[in-house]
Amino acid sequence: MKILIIEDEPELAADIATYLLSQGYLCEHAGTWMQAREKVELYRYDCILLDLMLPGGDGMDILDMLKDQGQQDGVIIISAKDDYDHKIRGLRAGADDYLAKPFHLPELAARIYSVIRRRNFANQNSIIQNELKVDLDARVVTVNGTLVALTRKELDLLLYFIGNRNRVIAKSALAEHLSGDIADMFDNHDFVYAHVKNLKKKLSDAGYGNYLKTIYATGYKWEG
Amino acid sequence: MGRMKKLLDQSLRPLVIYAMVVLAVSIPVYFLIIDWIWENELDKHHYAIREKLEKRLTSLNLPDAEVGEMIGVLDKVQPGFSFSEAVSPRPDSAYTLIRFDTFMNDREQFRCLLTDIRVNGKLFRVLVETNMEEIDETILAIAAVTVFFFVLLLAGFIYLNRKTALRIWRPFYDTLAGLHTFRLEKGIPPPLPESDVTEFADLNRSLAVLMDESLASYRQQKEFTENASHELQTPLAIVKSKLDLLLQSRSLDKPQMQLLEEAYQAINRVTRINKNLLLLARIEHAQFDEQADIAVPGILTELAAQFSDRFENSSITYTEDAQELVLAANPVLLEILVTNLLVNAVRYTPAGGHVQAYVGKRELSVFNTGTMPLQEASLFRRFTNVSSEHAGSGLGLAIAREICERYGWRISYRFEGGLHHFTVHF
Repeated sequence: MKILIIEDEPELAADIATYLLSQGYLCEHAGTWMQAREKVELYRYDCILLDLMLPGGDGMDILDMLKDQGQQDGVIIISAKDDYDHKIRGLRAGADDYLAKPFHLPELAARIYSVIRRRNFANQNSIIQNELKVDLDARVVTVNGTLVALTRKELDLLLYFIGNRNRVIAKSALAEHLSGDIADMFDNHDFVYAHVKNLKKKLSDAGYGNYLKTIYATGYKWEG
Repeated sequence: MGRMKKLLDQSLRPLVIYAMVVLAVSIPVYFLIIDWIWENELDKHHYAIREKLEKRLTSLNLPDAEVGEMIGVLDKVQPGFSFSEAVSPRPDSAYTLIRFDTFMNDREQFRCLLTDIRVNGKLFRVLVETNMEEIDETILAIAAVTVFFFVLLLAGFIYLNRKTALRIWRPFYDTLAGLHTFRLEKGIPPPLPESDVTEFADLNRSLAVLMDESLASYRQQKEFTENASHELQTPLAIVKSKLDLLLQSRSLDKPQMQLLEEAYQAINRVTRINKNLLLLARIEHAQFDEQADIAVPGILTELAAQFSDRFENSSITYTEDAQELVLAANPVLLEILVTNLLVNAVRYTPAGGHVQAYVGKRELSVFNTGTMPLQEASLFRRFTNVSSEHAGSGLGLAIAREICERYGWRISYRFEGGLHHFTVHF
């Protein structure tokens, strides 16, 4: 899987690349508008991470160019502009997702995972891991063929973990993911614990191994 | 502070006082001049009469005996004259006298000349008296005329002041009215009237410059907040991603993990504050122009659902009592307002407490369990957290108030029956 990181801040781009590399993605980096244009003209990517404010131009132009040429690359806008106007403009222009800075790397990874799955496995969209099977279209989870009844949030959480395989995910990143806009209004993330506990219990009751680990003080890790 | 005085009255008052003083002083001056002219003329007249009398009597060439008779007749017949024989010449005397006059049957004032005439070498003493106006009556007449003119002047002053001064100062009052409408937040200076008077043109020019500069610095200050917050986003993103990477390290021990978690808490708080500062700047910038008709109960239910985890986790009971209410506002702003009120309620409600939302006729209230009243004065100000145990951004209620102010709504707080009441009156 090939990812293009269009981001003018080299530190951030490097961190994103490091994290995604550990998830098995190949990353390329473009730090300016010109570089970005060159890359998207020459190569195809499974997902493009697009910063809007670039030296030399507006990231939206890159998106428009891709859409004009009918390219199928997935696009996630990563921008410091966290306002609804930009978000709506970006999504209308054809971006698959919009992530406001600052974000947690696992959140980004989960969104990339989701975008790529949606684009590449349009017909038979299911994830299989050991005895676990997730049918993304029907939103149904089975373990060894047995149906596991998960709530919407538990399924969401499961996909998030799968998208961040073998990575430690901070509680605050999970909280942010689960409660969206209001997540960062609170410091207390205890409710995350309740959801994770329920998910764990349902999976192990269905006979799934103990792949979801609690990491001391900080968060959780999905091994697989 | 004393009573305020109007500019136009200020210019009128000294004029009126001056006119009054001048006219008051003029009363004795007029009198003295009139009196002096009277006496002077009468004295001249009396001397002329004396000369004529002496010449005419002498030119008659009467024998000495008849002269005495003639004088006697004149003394009896000629009004205002009295004659008597004199032994030796005496100096003339002119004087004024007030006495009762039997003929006029009234108190009268006379100008008198006591002098000598010589006929055929014989000396006679002559007293000439002429009736003149009494002194008190003269003064009264002058005073009456003066008062009349003063009243005339006063009326004229007031009338002219109203007409002329008001016209002259018109541009000033127009400028003043323009200034009253000036609001920094609106971002446009009011148009000031044109004037061909140097001073007013100058005043308007200076005011225009002043307003433009105020607006520019206000704008700069707001832009500064916005730019500063924007600039912070990138380093914050870097710190966050570094922490996410650090968390992956296999060599972390427990104390280090604890430190890492604390660092996460802090960075999340900075992120939250920064986000809210940006939001506040954008609301002040009068962004969010779009309007739509929004059903408040719908939005409330939708947003409260996002809090279900929190309610559950803290064993908070939540109830909703919503009547039909549709508002014309920006959907995003209204959502932020409702969210912030709910967040505030949830954050400060102790475990096992109660949160209640109420939508009524033109009002939205959020109640939550509390122990003691909060200080309303500082509640809606920026960065005045009521307690340090709960780490809010210190901006939630400030943002709520900013949104309310934008739409002319009123947000208020009261503590009643062990509940904090936050109410927005639409």
